[in-house]
Amino acid sequence: MKLLTFILFLLISFLLAGCVNVAPWERGILAKPHMAVDPQPLQSGIRQHNYGSRESAASTNSAGGGGGCGCF
Amino acid sequence: MSKTLKALTSAALLLPGLVVQTSQAADPNRANVNFQYTRYQEGKRDLLGVRSDLNPIMVDTLHGNSSFLLTDRLRFSFGYTQDTWSGATPIAMTPFASTAGNKEFTRTLPTGEVVSGASPYITGNVELDRDFNPLRQDPIAGRVVDPRTVLVLSTASPETRKQGDFRMGYEWDNAVVNVGGGLSHENDYKSNYGNINGRFDFNQKLTSLKWGGAYTNSDTSAILDHDTLGYVTPRGYPGQLVFQDRLRILKGNRQDWAANIGLTQVLGKSSLIDTNIGYTHSSGFMENPYKATTVIFIDPEKNSSNSADILRGDVKAVLEQRPNIRNQLAISNRFVQHISPFDAALHLNYKFSFDDWGINSHTFEGDWIQPLFDGWTLTPRIRYYSQSAADFYQPYLISNQAFLTTQPTTQLFDPNKLPQDFASDHRLASFGSLSGGVTLNKRLVRGVELEAGFEYYTRASSFAFSGGNSSFADFDYYVANAALKVGLETLNLNQVSRNRSASAAPHDHAAQHDHPVIPAGIMFGHTLDRAGDIMVGYRFMYARQSGDILRGSHSVGDMEIVNQACEGTEGCRLAPQSMNMRMHMLDIMYAPTRWLNLMLMPQFMDMEMKLRPLEGRPPLNPGGHEHPGTPHSTGGVADTIMMSLIKLIDKPQHRLHLGLGFSAPTGSVDQEIRRMAKAEGGIIHFDMQLGSGTWDFLPNLTYTGNHANWYWGGQLYGTKRLENRNESGYRLGDFFQASTWGGYRLTNWLGASVRGVYTLRDSIQGDFNTFNARSGPMDFPRNQGGQFWDLGIGINAKIPSGRFVGNHFAFEWLQPLRDDFNGYQLERQGALSATWHYSF
Repeated sequence: MKLLTFILFLLISFLLAGCVNVAPWERGILAKPHMAVDPQPLQSGIRQHNYGSRESAASTNSAGGGGGCGCF
Repeated sequence: MSKTLKALTSAALLLPGLVVQTSQAADPNRANVNFQYTRYQEGKRDLLGVRSDLNPIMVDTLHGNSSFLLTDRLRFSFGYTQDTWSGATPIAMTPFASTAGNKEFTRTLPTGEVVSGASPYITGNVELDRDFNPLRQDPIAGRVVDPRTVLVLSTASPETRKQGDFRMGYEWDNAVVNVGGGLSHENDYKSNYGNINGRFDFNQKLTSLKWGGAYTNSDTSAILDHDTLGYVTPRGYPGQLVFQDRLRILKGNRQDWAANIGLTQVLGKSSLIDTNIGYTHSSGFMENPYKATTVIFIDPEKNSSNSADILRGDVKAVLEQRPNIRNQLAISNRFVQHISPFDAALHLNYKFSFDDWGINSHTFEGDWIQPLFDGWTLTPRIRYYSQSAADFYQPYLISNQAFLTTQPTTQLFDPNKLPQDFASDHRLASFGSLSGGVTLNKRLVRGVELEAGFEYYTRASSFAFSGGNSSFADFDYYVANAALKVGLETLNLNQVSRNRSASAAPHDHAAQHDHPVIPAGIMFGHTLDRAGDIMVGYRFMYARQSGDILRGSHSVGDMEIVNQACEGTEGCRLAPQSMNMRMHMLDIMYAPTRWLNLMLMPQFMDMEMKLRPLEGRPPLNPGGHEHPGTPHSTGGVADTIMMSLIKLIDKPQHRLHLGLGFSAPTGSVDQEIRRMAKAEGGIIHFDMQLGSGTWDFLPNLTYTGNHANWYWGGQLYGTKRLENRNESGYRLGDFFQASTWGGYRLTNWLGASVRGVYTLRDSIQGDFNTFNARSGPMDFPRNQGGQFWDLGIGINAKIPSGRFVGNHFAFEWLQPLRDDFNGYQLERQGALSATWHYSF
């Protein structure tokens, strides 16, 4: 069941690929800082650390590391 | 298409927002430095009416990172994080009806103070009915079923974790590869990690494929607190327990492999989607060594002939046992949509994860980033999270066997009759959480940005999707943080547009003046040249004491310390063996006019002191307790300095400026040693407190001169305490320091200096107004202070031109020449100062 939901998600995500063509001069809005995927990395860093210390969810980001036993 | 055109088109197509971001990533500026402070504070846990005086968990975090381009395509980033945490954590769960749990007590201390609180008991006994429901003796109704479970809380002394990481990235036209690593270190846990990740851009950069992998190797070396865990049966860890200094240490190793792929896809002119999948494989020691599971042993022999339908159980605790392997998979989807009428961006994120421990989780997040007028941006956010319980999560176990049999031989229970895996860590239970927060950003002039955030989080068992049953473990917390973000190269460009002398190229600003070179250990030595200039700097200081105990300037032996250094007691029991102090300071300076500079310097400190028993010390009082082996540590925000510098003489060859400023008592002076085995720890030694606790006046006078390649200077610096006593009943002594230095400019970017320093520090006035263990010379005010003579040797470097122009670095080692303490103190070994600053 879980795997099914997961695969469904995957398919939907990939189906959306390549469905538009936005010319370079039309990308003004997309270039705005608050349209970035992670516009406030310092804030995301703290939140990831806090949630990771209090919750057991897995992460999609493999770039972090470290942290102690139970992280406080 | 020519190569140049291709590169330019590629650059033009690149949306800064699609650059692979990680938690330490830079914002799209070419070079930047960020400093951040965070305070995390939990609320009290519900102990079902038992009043505990244990403080909830509190964490102070300091973080800094920097990212810059080494060449056009090579980017280097590094970061440092330090957190100090303290407070009460749950070590086990137990039926509220049992005699174990949090037991209230009231005690009178030798000082006359009355202390009351709750102590953790993880062993006891309990009565159960035939259906294994715990029974409580009610005064009126007799035995009643009381199914409630309660957390058993134990406190820990402050601990500091330090983490450093780096990353190097190379950028091609349509791809990026980053390689990085880091290490995290704290007393009981050391972790090393390496990672590699990258990005491919397709489709005119409308589509980006991200990939990554990481490996982490961690070692646990946990001292099993014999206060509570001494009663824990560590079955299942043969070969992992080590004995040292009468302490039991549990060792373990753990490895994590992680891989992730992701896709970022532009959906239209104002929306995009970002999908990521992450897989993690962990193996090894996965337990938390400070958590135990309560096991109720029901001896079949003692209970079989019981006709009252009551079972009598022995409540014991066993260290938790988790599987040795964990596989996790997570998928997240973020949707970003621009909302034109408001020029806002809506970020919606959903993440689903599951693993082979049985934990499924859902996360829903929504952020609304709203730019306002004048460089302000407001971002409210909300998050909902839900997880299911781990298959082996149990608040407590019931085992149909005796804990200990004495006939025919003494034998402990059979561990094979317990489940193979069990844990009572509330993080493995089923629960949900709801949190809401807000972030406020303000972009100032010239690439400087301030950021402040706040979030309130509440964990509630009832919020779980499928309903939870761990409401006794509910808690909440709030987080508040503030950050200073400085975009360096944006500043250089802005300098050009600020119309400096037409012929001077922007980077000549640094070379124009024969800037006085100030040794790293001198504070308030720099001034800014022009009105409107800003300087941002970072200062690190490390000081160490170890070796002999001195009285005045002579070494003394243990017998003298025992008899003389702790007046009013039977004698000293412990003495400091070593003390390390580290200070991080952020220097922010602004020149509103040419002759006036204003400075704000927040500080963050962490310290640790190792104690040793004194030979010939008086015997321990009955019921007393001592573990000199474990170091004491404290850490957190220290005092904040606000300084104004007034230029008196400002000529190319001679400068003199006067500083008038204050130190605000933002550093705590009530740090404590944790309670151990019914003995109060009390307030920790004077040297381990984080601040002065008083408002202090900081006058200083600095002179610098230079001629050709020689430079010299001197400084008088004082600290006058403006209050008679701080909230802990004492005040630090006044302080005076006189420095003279001389230096030579070896090249146009490197100089060396020599400095002589005299310091006078008055002893502490007053004394602690609350219980202190008075175990050694460091706990007595009259031992504090003295006169000190030091020699400083330093190096100064500045980057005179090129990409990194305007960055200054300085290092100085301060070698103690002579100590003349007022009383008994530990010899000083030296101090290191390292500074970086950047003016713009």
